[in-house]
Amino acid sequence: MFGMGGGAEARRATVSPLDRDRPLVEAARREPERFEALYRRYLAQVYSYAYYELRDQHDAEDVTERTFLSALASLDRFEERARPEDGADASTFRVWLFRIARNAVANERRHRRRHPVAALETAAAIPAAVDIEGDATRRDEGAAAWRAVDRLPADRRRAVVLRFVNELTTAEIAGVLGRSEGAVRVLLHRALRSVGRELRGDVG
Amino acid sequence: MTPDARDALEIEALRTDRYLEALLIALDRHAAGTPADARIEPAVRVAATKLARQLVRVHPSFRFEDRLAAQLAEAARTMRLAPAAGGGSMALPIPFPYATPGGGVELVFSQRGVALDPRDLRPYLIRGALTSAALSLAGAAWVAWRRTHAPRPSPMARAVRAAREARLVRRLS
Repeated sequence: MFGMGGGAEARRATVSPLDRDRPLVEAARREPERFEALYRRYLAQVYSYAYYELRDQHDAEDVTERTFLSALASLDRFEERARPEDGADASTFRVWLFRIARNAVANERRHRRRHPVAALETAAAIPAAVDIEGDATRRDEGAAAWRAVDRLPADRRRAVVLRFVNELTTAEIAGVLGRSEGAVRVLLHRALRSVGRELRGDVG
Repeated sequence: MTPDARDALEIEALRTDRYLEALLIALDRHAAGTPADARIEPAVRVAATKLARQLVRVHPSFRFEDRLAAQLAEAARTMRLAPAAGGGSMALPIPFPYATPGGGVELVFSQRGVALDPRDLRPYLIRGALTSAALSLAGAAWVAWRRTHAPRPSPMARAVRAAREARLVRRLS
């Protein structure tokens, strides 16, 4: 799943890999209460992902909750797959967790389509705890950047958020989105090109 | 798209990927300048730098964080008890506690969450050693497990039972 290998020499010289989260995962398997360490480590990342996808604080909280509860319940089924070329920071647990989050977001979207939420005026009256676009408006550049990202097709936008907000590697994003690393690199490249052109258009 | 064009795009994408990696590391280390690569399109460079600076990570409220932590802890406790209770048996305190003449605490269990008439259930007595809630839960789980996992008879026990049954059949015939 991972893999942007260096040469064979480099690979031979690499110390045997350890999924970054292996000790925490093993501890949580022995004692489920110790899952909390993984939860604290990835809470903001999962929440951010959900928030950027759904733009609603409550929906993002629901998705975050479902993601972690589901991860805890199925931790025994998680298989670590880090390879030498993935480097010391590789975490297949993180990839697995984001896959769960991605499914939870998709379910939430389906639910939204079937059950449209409260009246617009009610929603508008409740200020979101963190208003990404609102905060960014204070800085013109930030607002323009966010607007440009928002206009990207869903798969490119998702790749951008995973790369820039969650700081996942290309290999990890490939794992989350179920695509090849090459495809993810092209997605990101095209996304940056579109955003860059739009930003230059905004400025000029 | 022709194969050549596809190759060119993939090479550009790979270059962008490496540029991004260097850029994010530089920003992470609060380096003064950003990496330069003349082969990267200016539009891509501008976008990468801006997005790396503007797209921030969002943290949920601490109230939500603590509530979910408590929920996970509760789920973890349940998971720990479930295998001990026979993988799915549930201990239902109906009603709790029963005072007994011996001064102990009487607990009544229902297997696999099926609500049974308490009068049909054989009461289990766990003596006064159960003073803490944790110990009570452990005891409850143990008793539930014993109820659902009756020990398998040994070969000797099966042989004795077969001989006794054969003797009974002979007497009856």
